[in-house]
Amino acid sequence: MCRLRRRRGEAGPAVGVEATAVTNQFVAQIAQAGEHSMTTDASQRDAKVPGTLISYDRLEYGTAWALQRGLVAERIADQCPDTLLLLQHEPVFTIGRSGQEAHWGGNEGALQETGYPVYRVERGGSITYHGPGQIVGYPILRLGRFCPGPKSYMRLLEEVLIRTLADWGITGGRIDRVPGVWVGGEPAAKIAAMGVRILRGVTMHGFALNVTVDLSPFSRIVPCGIAGCRVTSMAALLGRPVEVLMVQRRIAEVFGDVFGLEWTERVPSGEIRTVGSKPVMVRG
Amino acid sequence: MEPKDLRYHQEHEWIRVEGTQATLGISNFAQEALGDIVYIEMPKVGVTVTAGQEIGEVESTKTTSSIYTPVSGTIVKVNTDLKDHPEVVNADPYGRGWIALIELSEPAQVASLMTAAQYEAFLASQKK
Repeated sequence: MCRLRRRRGEAGPAVGVEATAVTNQFVAQIAQAGEHSMTTDASQRDAKVPGTLISYDRLEYGTAWALQRGLVAERIADQCPDTLLLLQHEPVFTIGRSGQEAHWGGNEGALQETGYPVYRVERGGSITYHGPGQIVGYPILRLGRFCPGPKSYMRLLEEVLIRTLADWGITGGRIDRVPGVWVGGEPAAKIAAMGVRILRGVTMHGFALNVTVDLSPFSRIVPCGIAGCRVTSMAALLGRPVEVLMVQRRIAEVFGDVFGLEWTERVPSGEIRTVGSKPVMVRG
Repeated sequence: MEPKDLRYHQEHEWIRVEGTQATLGISNFAQEALGDIVYIEMPKVGVTVTAGQEIGEVESTKTTSSIYTPVSGTIVKVNTDLKDHPEVVNADPYGRGWIALIELSEPAQVASLMTAAQYEAFLASQKK
């Protein structure tokens, strides 16, 4: 199922966290963000191992979901290397396994009035929104090569996004037991969300970082099922436009450092070309 | 130290054999790696299962993972307490956190599973 040793002694589920609790915890956690940084990158321990990077500007959710499932089957069969899909979706709501109707007003029809499709998917977590201006990452990894299990995997994904945000002058932090990347205080706002499925030791789904995405669709839902959860974006925090594809490129680089992967770009048509350690974005 | 009376599987499930039946759960190592468990999808009672098959699902730390059975047989009972209290698996993975009871159809499979000492060696070999 997974491998790891972690400190015990913290019991109780992390669902249903109230906003105030989130805020109070955040203040303490954000101060420790530096300490939480992974000082043991795979890249610092060992030489990087080959990985495949597949980038799109935009991809409809259902197409990306099918692509993921194909890659997961290939990865389970060792027919492809560890792979990272980076893309933006057309507007869509997705509901994970923890989806409770109260998180979207109990009426999927109301969501569909937006004209956006609604998908129920196999990842963890509740409901979220994806749309243009939000970078979605779907790592298809044999997880045991990188970390012992889901708990430590979340820390690594958070690390990638915290480092990326730092390059834009944004201090992102973690909140204990509430995976994702959070910014600010009083109350903290979520800038990146997580939701993962592990199948035969291989990961799918992943993370979503709000760069310039329209935040209004989040007001229709209880993001990630956390009552009172505020959602923000890089552009909203900086008060200026942000070049989405530059952030996407930086995520690929930082992901390669944190996970110790040397990217080969796979053009979505299937053509493979080596681009060394500097990923080159390919328009899908 | 893992309990000596159990047998272990590389997917980090354990079984405890009593007569023709085996109780199944996930190891302490697994619950640690998963983090806080918030939901467990149980197998259905009466279902026939085959060794290696996915029989349920665990959700923890925004991640869903599969539960596999290391033995073949029929599900005769599931731990319904876990529906409202999945965190019991974190607190007591070898006791109150058991998941299912299986009537074994191929008891010889048990011998192929790891002993506690073998499982501990397996865990050590997985560390870098």
